Amino acid sequence: MHHAYRRRVVLRGVDLRLRAGTLCGIVGENGAGKSTLLKVLSGELRPMRGTVRHSGRFGYCPQHVVLNDALTVRQHLTFFQTAYRLADVRYAEEVMEVLGFTGYADERTSVLSGGTRQKLNVTLALMHDPQVLLLDEPYQGFDWDTYQRFWDLAARLRDAGRSVLVVSHLAYDTERLDELWRLDGGLLRPDEAGVAA
Amino acid sequence: MRFHLTRFAVATRFTLIEHGRNRFAMILVGLFVPVWTTLAYLAMPDTPARMRLHATGEVLAPHGNELTEISGALNAVTLITGFMMFAATFSGSGFDRRLAMAGYPRAHLVLAKVTALALVSAAVAAYATAITCLAWTPCQPLLLAAALFCAGLTYGALGVGFGSLLRREVEGMFAIVMTSIIDLALQNPISSSGADSPVMRYLPSYGAMQASTAAGFSTSPVPGYLAIQLTWFAAASLIALVGFRRSTRSSLPLAAPTPLPGPGSDKVGLPAPRQAATPSPAASDTEAH
Repeated sequence: MHHAYRRRVVLRGVDLRLRAGTLCGIVGENGAGKSTLLKVLSGELRPMRGTVRHSGRFGYCPQHVVLNDALTVRQHLTFFQTAYRLADVRYAEEVMEVLGFTGYADERTSVLSGGTRQKLNVTLALMHDPQVLLLDEPYQGFDWDTYQRFWDLAARLRDAGRSVLVVSHLAYDTERLDELWRLDGGLLRPDEAGVAA
Repeated sequence: MRFHLTRFAVATRFTLIEHGRNRFAMILVGLFVPVWTTLAYLAMPDTPARMRLHATGEVLAPHGNELTEISGALNAVTLITGFMMFAATFSGSGFDRRLAMAGYPRAHLVLAKVTALALVSAAVAAYATAITCLAWTPCQPLLLAAALFCAGLTYGALGVGFGSLLRREVEGMFAIVMTSIIDLALQNPISSSGADSPVMRYLPSYGAMQASTAAGFSTSPVPGYLAIQLTWFAAASLIALVGFRRSTRSSLPLAAPTPLPGPGSDKVGLPAPRQAATPSPAASDTEAH
């Protein structure tokens, strides 16, 4: 894939295959093009050249929290339950339980803390049990305990055959990953440091 | 059929909740409509203003304050519906995109927005007509309400269009306010000596202004002018629809939906912690080249 914003070239030929049952990370400095790459992968942005093909359901968690401040957490779940055509929201409730914000179900999102809003942001991307999960800086605002539980959840999904791609500007906890890539100069390069064997 | 009704009903319910929680808009409806229309009625002189109404061909001499009050009601209704729709579209465009990309049919989202716009416009138009009837009695109150309703619809659709196309909140607010001011000030014979000019026929609220003036001071029905206003609404809706489609489109090729676990299935639920790494046969790859 290639992409540029006017003259500023951001992606110079990224070639990525995300295999089933893989927990993959992409790191890079600020402005390296990580969010652009994820926007292209999610269909939010059309690349100037190249194609993206998902063979299964996918979920996308954007870097900036995308919620409706007028609605409660439960109303968000109902809205996305309808979008995903789910029979119920049991799966979403389990994700909420893991992330520890079940008690906020009837709160309007405008009054939630930044971390809790991010938990809902992640839940909306996960609640239809996607086979491919694209997460852009998913743990920003999480406390330490939630951060740990997030990684545990990601590993559980990977173990069940889901593909999880986490994009971050920080290369913390790389030992939790099966693959680590570094986006630099518009190209993806394997980064072996710290990746689980 | 139930599939469509459910999606439409859910989207409409949440769209109406969103409008209802726009506190500033509620205050505007509650205070701005009566204050503006009452001030226009009380502060303007009641000297007869001689004018020819295009809609009926009649030469009328309505009281200046009553004519200004109608213009004020139109101004209030158009600003409020335009503002409400702009605010909802501007702040909700990212959310709409997320919903559409999650699989929510865009047609149902659009229909929900149009339904909410119609309900908001009907409520504000009925309220403004009731306030008008407290001060004086128009010849055709129902026609006045219909004209205000059609003008509200038009500016609501313009608000959606501005909300989809403009980048900054202040730009949209300025666009709505200036459009309404230019539109209505040019048509008011009290403030504009050019109110008989043929250019007026191309202004966004021309149909509503003619119909509401006829409603105030004539007994002739003017359905053609309501139709002109509805044509403006259709044109503004088309712009809004193009903006909405543009802001919610996905660049991914259309794929057949992958079946989800059915209701009551044991598969519904998070995978247990730390199972052996055995990829499921249903799992699939993502490729980017």
